Amino acid sequence: MARKKAPDFILFIVTLALITIGVVMVFSASQVAALQDFNDSYYFLKRQLLWALIGIGAMLVIMRIDYWRYREFILPFLLVSFVLLVLVLVPGIGKVVNGARRWIDLKFTSFQPSELMKIALIFYTAHGLATKQQHVRSFTRGMLPFLLVMAAACVLILAQPDLGTAVSLAGTIYFMLLAAGARWSHLAGVAGAGLAAVAAAIAASDYRRERFLAFLNPWKDPSDTGFHIIQSLYALGSGGLFGVGLGRSHQKFLYLPERHTDFIFAIIGEELGFLGVMVVLALFFLLIWRGYTIALKAPDTFSSLLVVGFTSMIAIQVIINVGVVTGSLPVTGIPLPLISYGGTSLTFTLMGMGVILNVSRHCR
Amino acid sequence: MLGSGIVMRRRIATLFAVTALALFFLLGRVAYLQFVRGSELQRRALENRMADIRVDGKRGNIYDRNGQELVRSVSADTLYAVPVQIKNPRETAEKLAAILGRKADDIYKIITRPTNFEYIEKKIADPEKVKKIRELKLPGVYFQEDSRRVYPNDNLASHVLGYVGIDNNGLAGIESTMDKELRGQPGWIVQERDARGREMPQALHKYIPPKDGNHLVLTIDATIQHFVERELDRIMVEHRAKQATIIVMDPKTGEILAMGNRPDFNPNQWEKYPAEVRDRNLAVWLNYEPGSTFKVVTAAAALEEGVVTPNDRFYDPGFIMVDGERINCWAAGGHGSQSFVEVVQNSCNPGFITIGLKLGKEKFCRYLNAFGFGRPTGVELPGEGTGILYNEKEITNVNLATMSIGQSVSVTPIQLITAVAAVANDGRLMKPHIVKEIRSPDGKQVKKIKPEMVRQVISRDTARQLRGILEKVVLYGSGKNAAVEGYRVGGKTGTAQKAGPNGGYMPGKYIASFVGFVPVEDPRLVILVVVDEPEGMYYGSQVAAPHFQAVARDALRYLGIPPKIDANSKKDKEDKNTKKVTVPSLVNLPLTEAVHKVQAAGLRSRVEGAGEVVLEQLPKPGSVVPAETEIILYVGPWGEVKEGQEVTVPDLTGLTLQEASELLGMLGLRLETEPGATGYAVSQDVAPGTRVRAGTKVKVRFAPPLLESGP
Repeated sequence: MARKKAPDFILFIVTLALITIGVVMVFSASQVAALQDFNDSYYFLKRQLLWALIGIGAMLVIMRIDYWRYREFILPFLLVSFVLLVLVLVPGIGKVVNGARRWIDLKFTSFQPSELMKIALIFYTAHGLATKQQHVRSFTRGMLPFLLVMAAACVLILAQPDLGTAVSLAGTIYFMLLAAGARWSHLAGVAGAGLAAVAAAIAASDYRRERFLAFLNPWKDPSDTGFHIIQSLYALGSGGLFGVGLGRSHQKFLYLPERHTDFIFAIIGEELGFLGVMVVLALFFLLIWRGYTIALKAPDTFSSLLVVGFTSMIAIQVIINVGVVTGSLPVTGIPLPLISYGGTSLTFTLMGMGVILNVSRHCR
Repeated sequence: MLGSGIVMRRRIATLFAVTALALFFLLGRVAYLQFVRGSELQRRALENRMADIRVDGKRGNIYDRNGQELVRSVSADTLYAVPVQIKNPRETAEKLAAILGRKADDIYKIITRPTNFEYIEKKIADPEKVKKIRELKLPGVYFQEDSRRVYPNDNLASHVLGYVGIDNNGLAGIESTMDKELRGQPGWIVQERDARGREMPQALHKYIPPKDGNHLVLTIDATIQHFVERELDRIMVEHRAKQATIIVMDPKTGEILAMGNRPDFNPNQWEKYPAEVRDRNLAVWLNYEPGSTFKVVTAAAALEEGVVTPNDRFYDPGFIMVDGERINCWAAGGHGSQSFVEVVQNSCNPGFITIGLKLGKEKFCRYLNAFGFGRPTGVELPGEGTGILYNEKEITNVNLATMSIGQSVSVTPIQLITAVAAVANDGRLMKPHIVKEIRSPDGKQVKKIKPEMVRQVISRDTARQLRGILEKVVLYGSGKNAAVEGYRVGGKTGTAQKAGPNGGYMPGKYIASFVGFVPVEDPRLVILVVVDEPEGMYYGSQVAAPHFQAVARDALRYLGIPPKIDANSKKDKEDKNTKKVTVPSLVNLPLTEAVHKVQAAGLRSRVEGAGEVVLEQLPKPGSVVPAETEIILYVGPWGEVKEGQEVTVPDLTGLTLQEASELLGMLGLRLETEPGATGYAVSQDVAPGTRVRAGTKVKVRFAPPLLESGP
């Protein structure tokens, strides 16, 4: 084993830059609501800052733990994740917020088991695919086992319900299968089945169907189903090239819902304009570029797939989130990685970054 | 070693390409939203965030035909709260309660509601209270400029004027029908608000000023209206009637000069009156059987159609048989043999039934229609009745007979006076109207409502012939009590038994009425008096005609219509040679002084009423009349001038300080002078004749008499 190098510098800086932007924007977007609901403008800022520090600490620690050390813990890790994912569905354990049972209340904070599952599943899939790489071109032996585990996780997540996370998780595993070298014909079939499953999930629930119809024509019912997307478009559209100025959003005055969480990108667009949006998207581009580059240069299949997994997870979430905010995709609640308010998501994303950075230290 | 094989390397590159492409697509999408649709989205977002506060314009005033103010708008500020901005609600409520004279708990409840806008008190009339509240500088408590409606003459013409609700919206009378003109265009304060309606920093403001409402000039003459109100009061006292109505109309134009009802109400405090009083303008609302006054219509139709001539003979045995039904004449034993003129004079039922039957139902109905019965006249007043007429096809001979004498037909007072006015106006039916002019807030004329002729109902000759016959009613018949000395009066009495709810007539319940016009040769006034359920006397000739006389007499003098009973009399010739004199202002003078002043001016005086002070005079001050004209002085007792009551400022010129002070004191006014003033009053800051509230200060300048300063 070669001597460890310094971690990927660009990726490290990009990560810190995105977190910084995130903390500033969470403050700006949440200030009004924080004062309103908690009588403290800094309520969300303080928490996001705390989680950012915890997350960065975790990232720095994980960056130093060599990635292969995790391999023997993967199966128990996956099992714990499944147990928690089942537990969260139990009333009394799982906390209902906005009609979905996604959180386990740990008193001092809430914890989202689906975020844990993402990491567990990425580890599990990377490990599994690396172990039986010779079977990857076989559907039954190479793909199906991973698809079944993934499907089990997705069904539990859908039961919360949380379509956005399920889709992003499925997308991440799919990307890993693709990277591992699965046959195109198999991939196409799985993609078709996946889309059919999503369509079924949409058709099976009234609120998803309404959201989907609202996506097709948000102006039909601007005060109800079209409300999120219209308010989001109002915010983005008001931004122009330079934006209305940091902290000067008008839409954050309780018009735009989920302004510091899932719709924070709209506030960035309104306050910082097209230039701000371009900077954020450029940073994510750099992150993805560095991620996939590290995957290419990774020392072994396991680490390469691990990096593909974590990079793809971020890429897919960014694409879905920005797609929703810009009205390009139906509304589904998914945070903008590293930027949106939310302790579990931020911490686990940073832990993923720690894994990527760790792998980068072992690259050629 | 390199972990990924050649396939994986290609695949990872593919993933990168796909995700990078997606990011570029999304960047393009943001560019599209911000640059292509940016301005549209920005505008819609702004509209979405704007909250509007309505600001009403000042409601227009209402004047009588001579420019006297009947209704005006005065500034009254409305107090409102933005509850979220109130720092200390308990303290705020207590401070406001102390000034407004309300319970602190009530105000506390209002200002702690979880909203962003609450009215605390609308239209605060007292500017002192407003000032005090402003001085408190309470956070979250604001004033909004508003106006309040004031009816300076209280009950005068209350049903004509109507009243307004708390938002200055017309709820009755002219206030209601002309609401659109009076109201103006509301303005808006447009302000960007947060999603819960609160003000936000860097909010955008826009003020769209309101447009004040137009003023109205009515055809009403306040002075004639005063006469009408006075007579209505007398009717209610003398006859203890259930209700009564009087209308005065100019037959040439259809203009309503006065209109009043009892019971009435004070529009300044309309809430204190039952809805059926304040919302029912009997003059246009009441459906009643007109009785004999309706014979004017029967006679007009019969004369016009030639079924009768003035000299046709009739015989009245006291009843008439129609299809086996016996209809009695009101006079037991009947009127015997009489001409048509005498039939009208005697208001003989069998005579009218005979001509009604001769006319036939088809022609009769045609005239009912032509005179405007059975449908609203279209006068600019709300709640107008239509009257009730039989369907022509269903009319039996008995129906026709009773209709000819004004029974089994129902009309409104405004319909009847309009029909009789057509007779007075040479057969031309004018549309009754009450709005004369619309003026812009700065006083320019916007619209003048011209008299509108509906149709020629009967010929000029028939009309004149009928007027001559109706004059005989007043000269020799049932209308004697309506006669006005010096003028030719024509008219018709009516006494109709009231129909009960079950169809039959109610014993002892009558509607007494009189409708007439003056002068007969060229009618200027048509007056209808309707008295519903008088107690004791109930004949129109006893109950209604005297009040016609009183209104007509005073209105004729007031309008300066010359008496002309005998064009060839010597007196009249003499009058032409006598000099003209100007009538002095006598109102509020002690009676003795007034009489003295009248004599000094070369006029004669007649005193009406009991008391020591002149309350009203006729003709009005400033009128130019022939010498020796009789001036009527309405007198009343001194004193008892209540605070806030309206009084007329007297002419103080020439009075000593003590005299002026006494006179003003008696009227409840306050004298203000420079210290050490002596001599006689030479000027006053409130002009004589101005109506002011008791308690008003009148500043008077005194100067020593010229003689004293002379050699």
